[in-house]
Amino acid sequence: MSRIISVHSFRGGTGKSNTAANVAVLLAAEGQRVGVVDTDIQSPGIHTLFGLNQEAVRFSLNQYLWGTCDILQAAHDMTASLDAGLRGRVYLVPSSIKANDIARVMRDGYDVGLLNEGFRQLVKELSLDVLMLDTHPGLNEETLLSIAMSNTLAIVLRPDHQDYEGTSVTLSVARKLNVPDLVLVVNKAPPVFDPEQVRERVETAYACEVAAVLPHSDELMALSSAGIFALRSPDHPVTGLLHQIAARLTA
Amino acid sequence: MTERPGCVLVADDDMVNRLLLARGLERDGHRVRAVANGLEALEALRDGLFDCVLLDVLMPGMDGYQVLECIRSQPKFRHIPVIMISALDDIESVVRCIEMGADDYLPKPFDAVILRARINAGLARKRLHDLEQEYLENVGHVVEAAADVETGRFESRQLDGVAGRDDALGQLARVFQRMAAEVRSREDRLKQEVRQLRIEIDDARAARQVAEITQTEYFQDLQAKASKLRLGPDSQE
Repeated sequence: MSRIISVHSFRGGTGKSNTAANVAVLLAAEGQRVGVVDTDIQSPGIHTLFGLNQEAVRFSLNQYLWGTCDILQAAHDMTASLDAGLRGRVYLVPSSIKANDIARVMRDGYDVGLLNEGFRQLVKELSLDVLMLDTHPGLNEETLLSIAMSNTLAIVLRPDHQDYEGTSVTLSVARKLNVPDLVLVVNKAPPVFDPEQVRERVETAYACEVAAVLPHSDELMALSSAGIFALRSPDHPVTGLLHQIAARLTA
Repeated sequence: MTERPGCVLVADDDMVNRLLLARGLERDGHRVRAVANGLEALEALRDGLFDCVLLDVLMPGMDGYQVLECIRSQPKFRHIPVIMISALDDIESVVRCIEMGADDYLPKPFDAVILRARINAGLARKRLHDLEQEYLENVGHVVEAAADVETGRFESRQLDGVAGRDDALGQLARVFQRMAAEVRSREDRLKQEVRQLRIEIDDARAARQVAEITQTEYFQDLQAKASKLRLGPDSQE
């Protein structure tokens, strides 16, 4: 059965897009057909991880929401450019990075309900096993819709006081929306932290499962926004943890 | 008496020469070990640490050439200055010895002033070599310390010896010790923090934020149809 997985964080800079992109590619490596939608229309970015040249992109999520293209026209098959050896497929629906397009979204808005239709069409027409939604930080209307539609919600947080309260708010809202599967991903943990201890404390504080505790990694930071870390460093311990997250999100 | 005495090995089969040399050197404050042939010279070298060797060219059994060759072929001894003892009329053998790696020669009969000058020059070379060697060893300690910092095994006291130097290397070691101590202390503080890791949430404020979101018409509408929006048995399709 197909499923929608939202990867969210209340604040920016948690590594949400990196986590989403890596998990998507690892699932495709296992043979799954995966769609990724950048619903962070106000500050898009996940396309850079996939190496998508936006100059050459004619249709994005913005054009779909303004009714100037079909959602399938905005879905770009990234499989071959990522790694010709991937057994599954990865489709990316980017948000536009053009300043005019972003300004128009901020000024005029769009019919949020169209997202629902678009997501469903993607899942059906592309025979997706998984649709991953890279959300905008905070809890605006499109993020709430993404969460409501999700079979699984992964909330990425740092072991940092700035993230604790927002994560609590997001979990409460998701529970009120009866999201069937909630999971936390702790990212950028300083290497001196004991991951098991962090996991235990976070699980106790939020009464929610932690899929993995990822350490702050200089190598990941160096590659961030410039490629899929799990593909470039398949034997790195962080890649092992990303596998763990991918397995948990699709369990 | 010389300012910086050393430990000198004298190898000469002529007993009178041996005694004269030993007496002259001891008068200058040096410690002396005198032997009568090449084999004894090599045994003495293996047993002790010498700063200079006075070596007669012609000796029964193992001669001065062979001893010199042996000294220069062994890493442990090759840095020890060797002064060949030779008669003035035997210049050819002196040249051969210098080509084989001897540092200097001492003509017979001995002149106390020349003996002192040759020995002091040899000891000065040895001291310079020892200083260079010690410097390189200390650089090695600093490099080793850097690797130990990387693996978390560094102990500040392992650089105490280098830090005691009054040159730039000593300063580097002292700065290194201080920086390593600061990094260690920062790490300890972080470890302490994680031991005390408390996830403190202002429940009242969080509840207000949740209420602001969930009391909107948009959210309540979404909540009502959420199960139908999701892919699965209750799905709209």
